[in-house]
Amino acid sequence: MAGMARAATTSDAFNAIAEPLRRDILDVLRAGDRPVLELVGELGIAQPSVSKHLKVLREVHLVHVREAGRRRIYSLDARGLRSVHAWAGGFEEFWNESFDSLNAYVQGLKGGDTGGTPR
Amino acid sequence: MTNSPYATTPDREIVIARTIDAPRELVFSAFTDVRHLSRWWGPDGFTTTTRSFAFREGGAWDFVMHAPDGSHYLNWIVWREITPPERIALMHGESAQDPDAFESIFTFVDHGETTEITMRTVFPTAALRARAVEQYHAIELGGQTLDCLAAYVAEHR
Repeated sequence: MAGMARAATTSDAFNAIAEPLRRDILDVLRAGDRPVLELVGELGIAQPSVSKHLKVLREVHLVHVREAGRRRIYSLDARGLRSVHAWAGGFEEFWNESFDSLNAYVQGLKGGDTGGTPR
Repeated sequence: MTNSPYATTPDREIVIARTIDAPRELVFSAFTDVRHLSRWWGPDGFTTTTRSFAFREGGAWDFVMHAPDGSHYLNWIVWREITPPERIALMHGESAQDPDAFESIFTFVDHGETTEITMRTVFPTAALRARAVEQYHAIELGGQTLDCLAAYVAEHR
């Protein structure tokens, strides 16, 4: 059910961000660091649920926490995000390079050369 | 360009758009014949070996991709919809029985001397999307993007 963090999804950053509420938390933190209560207010989710999700995000290094007096301030952690960005780039690189090749290849077809040999 | 104009399932899809400097009929034709596909499919430095190819709805392309580092990747594509010269929908997996196969839809928009291709890939679940990008990342590592990754990681350390 929405809002409940599941232990089985804590193993890595990819599983962690498969949960929409955790992505919502990351979206809010992208705009700036937040104490828990502000996250609760902005997301409209109960505090125990937000805290559970924050714990998951912390374990996979997507957020980190610092103490400020009696408050705990959460912010984005670049360590976990780095792997997510790098993996996502793989798929896009595959297709960007394929489309580069396609663009070059069809230039050769413009002259009516519809043959070509398999490489 | 990776923004999604059709973002109804953003947590489990990837959209990549590109303008190709050729008329639409020509660009579409490059998708219809293995002689063409084998020349441009895949990242720089990759080659393909085709085992069978039948470009028709329900037909399949069974091929192996060879990475510059010697790695091999099995590919199995089935065309679900072919609407010349506008649209191609296909399922892409490792084999005919791959339960994790995902759908990619290519649309070709005519701009006269250029053609805009949009590839929208929809994964069955967000988790499979994450796994697919991970696998493709591994494929890329067999190519030449390792340096880019290293630079990226160094930059974000």
